[in-house]
Amino acid sequence: MAYALVALGFVLALNAAGAVNFAHGDLVVLGGAVAVFIGLSTGLPAVLLLPLVALAIGVVGILAARIAILPLASRPPEATFVATIALAAIIEQSLTIAMAGAPRTAPSLVGSGSFYIAGFVLGRQPLAIVVLGAVLVAAVWFLLERTQTGRRMRAVAADRYMARAVGIPVGRYVILSLALSGALAGVAGFLLGHQFLVAPTQGAGHMLKAYIAVALGGWGSVPGALVGALGIGLFETFVAARFGDAWASAALYICVLAVLALRPQGLFGEPVGRRA
Amino acid sequence: MRLSPFWLVLLVLPPLVALAALPPFGQRMVILAGIYGLMGLGYQLVFGQLGALNLAQGALFGLGAYAAALTAPVLGPFALPAAILAAAIPAALVAGPLLRLQSHYFALATLALASLVNLLAVHAEGFTGGANGLAGFATSLPRGPVLLATVWICLIAGVLLYAWLFEGTTGKKAQLLREAPLLAATLGIDGAAWRFAAFVVGGALAGLAGACSAALSGVVSPEATGFSIMVLCLTLVVLGGSRHPMGAVVGAALAVGLPELLRDLQGAWLLAYAVATLAVVLWAPEGLAGLIDRLRGARRAPPIPPGLPTSVPPLPGAQRLTIDGVSKRFGGVQALDGVSLLVDRGEIVGLIGPNGSGKTTLLNVINGLEQVDEGTISLDDRRIEHLPAHAVSRAGIGRSFQALALAGDTKSADLARAVATGAAFLLLDEPAAGVSDHERRALPAFLANLRDAGRGVLIVDHDIELLSRTCDRLVCLDRGRVIASGSPAEVRADRQVRASFLGLDGIAA
Repeated sequence: MAYALVALGFVLALNAAGAVNFAHGDLVVLGGAVAVFIGLSTGLPAVLLLPLVALAIGVVGILAARIAILPLASRPPEATFVATIALAAIIEQSLTIAMAGAPRTAPSLVGSGSFYIAGFVLGRQPLAIVVLGAVLVAAVWFLLERTQTGRRMRAVAADRYMARAVGIPVGRYVILSLALSGALAGVAGFLLGHQFLVAPTQGAGHMLKAYIAVALGGWGSVPGALVGALGIGLFETFVAARFGDAWASAALYICVLAVLALRPQGLFGEPVGRRA
Repeated sequence: MRLSPFWLVLLVLPPLVALAALPPFGQRMVILAGIYGLMGLGYQLVFGQLGALNLAQGALFGLGAYAAALTAPVLGPFALPAAILAAAIPAALVAGPLLRLQSHYFALATLALASLVNLLAVHAEGFTGGANGLAGFATSLPRGPVLLATVWICLIAGVLLYAWLFEGTTGKKAQLLREAPLLAATLGIDGAAWRFAAFVVGGALAGLAGACSAALSGVVSPEATGFSIMVLCLTLVVLGGSRHPMGAVVGAALAVGLPELLRDLQGAWLLAYAVATLAVVLWAPEGLAGLIDRLRGARRAPPIPPGLPTSVPPLPGAQRLTIDGVSKRFGGVQALDGVSLLVDRGEIVGLIGPNGSGKTTLLNVINGLEQVDEGTISLDDRRIEHLPAHAVSRAGIGRSFQALALAGDTKSADLARAVATGAAFLLLDEPAAGVSDHERRALPAFLANLRDAGRGVLIVDHDIELLSRTCDRLVCLDRGRVIASGSPAEVRADRQVRASFLGLDGIAA
């Protein structure tokens, strides 16, 4: 479910920027790191910590939009790719220096422990992640589909020139999308940071998973990204349980290459030349 | 050689100084800069010249490093060519399917491939030594002066060759492929072959660089295949200048020199490097080498846009372009429905019809930008409807476009390009739209010139008066069908044409 939040934020940024945000994975890691630092220094309960992390990474998302995305809007998408890769390296290196290389654990969302439902053992933390993830996905869906702001965000994503022509301040909505994308990344980082560890070098891996989810689920499609992310999560869990982690990752990459080789336009296709 | 003396001196100086004056540690740094330069130079071919974000260059570097470490004990110095092959052969194998992908899928596929190589390096322990890597192997070349000379001779040769190649027509063709791939195809440039060559040669250079780095450090670990090497390669090329012949060398020099300059800041040099890269992307897209050129005042004069060509010599080649029963459907729209027409050499045929009647689609299927659903297109007896655009162009069909694809381009330049391909037949899409009065007045003489030179012309335009004056025949399309064809006077008098196109329905003929 945390993958789904990563992928959801990734696809929002992708649609708004018209290009892949290679720094997205590092925003996730940054979320985990911020949770660790604030959690350690203030001892705030997770319920308060979570919105704080979301807010902080949302602000970083705004900075990313201002620095690496909006100024390059009129250049080929490769310019944004490179700018966000540089941004990713900046975040990763800053974290390496700040954390002195030692991986940390983020605080848990709810206390540990487990309980039984109909004979199944359920950890409280995984359950909380699933519930929180579902709530956030539903909230984003509501925002995009049921509010004027969301409609405008989708209009900017679909065709920024047309959106500008009908009077939508495109820059502002790109920034808003990146803020939302950053907030989701921050929450995902918090959740993943407790389950696994927070280490500065994980960013590329998170980004790659989200990238794959979006490519498999249908480029630029929000539900597609969610389905793709959940699919990857299940696939990895089952293959890893049977053959080990390395094989799970290898199989995933081979699947992606096979899909791209057989269907260069993506699993579900996309309108030709829509965006990059 | 087209590299200016300024750069030539900067290129040759480091190895000479290193050999003559530097202690082993300094020599080692110069070797490392040369290695990064080689990897970056290869990357410039794919990323700089063709604009494709290849994220597998680091993995190819790693393949070269492992290949050198594994084969050096047996092959000695011949481990270097073995490493080049170890990178170039996999690159050639995956190039086919990979290079068909659009920009973002290409980046993803190369990233997935690189991740696979990295996984292999970590987990195939019997072969690669696993996470600890390989160490203590006999190196292919002795460290020190021999390695330094080898690396820098390869690099200098590579840079000079690159500068010589991309200075002239080849550079222009690469620019066309990068900025306007469709236009490039209609001028006969085979984009697929170009991308293949760039990817494989770029990979070979990465392999060579990897092998040299194995010889230099005596250790190869999975990090050699990792994402950080890839990011280093990308940033050094962007920082130095992704197309400038000296871009990779300048970027590599910084990548090696910065950590020394910022030694007090510990790991912060990578941070400074990334910040500098971001700044270059934002404010100096041509890179530091380009920036230095600008400060030196060595800016190239802007090209003077050509007027319409006046000399259009007669050409050998096919005598007749035949379009027979061509149909094309886009989803629910029948864009072309059984269109047949002929164009002979020395003939100007005007194609008219209301908006959306299929005029541009017809030109697109003739020159291979779209594939026909049914029907045949031939030059004399040679069928061309199945050929890709660049092959159609080489077979003798040139094309000008309605909308310009390149920044700073003009309609005259577009027409001149089409004529300059030497094509026997020319497809001109609205040459009179959006041009100055002066250019418009020059157009009839230009078309007459083409006719006198024995070229066949199929021209689409909305200026019916212009077409009536210059064309030998007119063909009118409506909803994908030919509704009239004949002399300009006949077609303009046709009832259906008057109704559908000229808007003269009800006016007495």
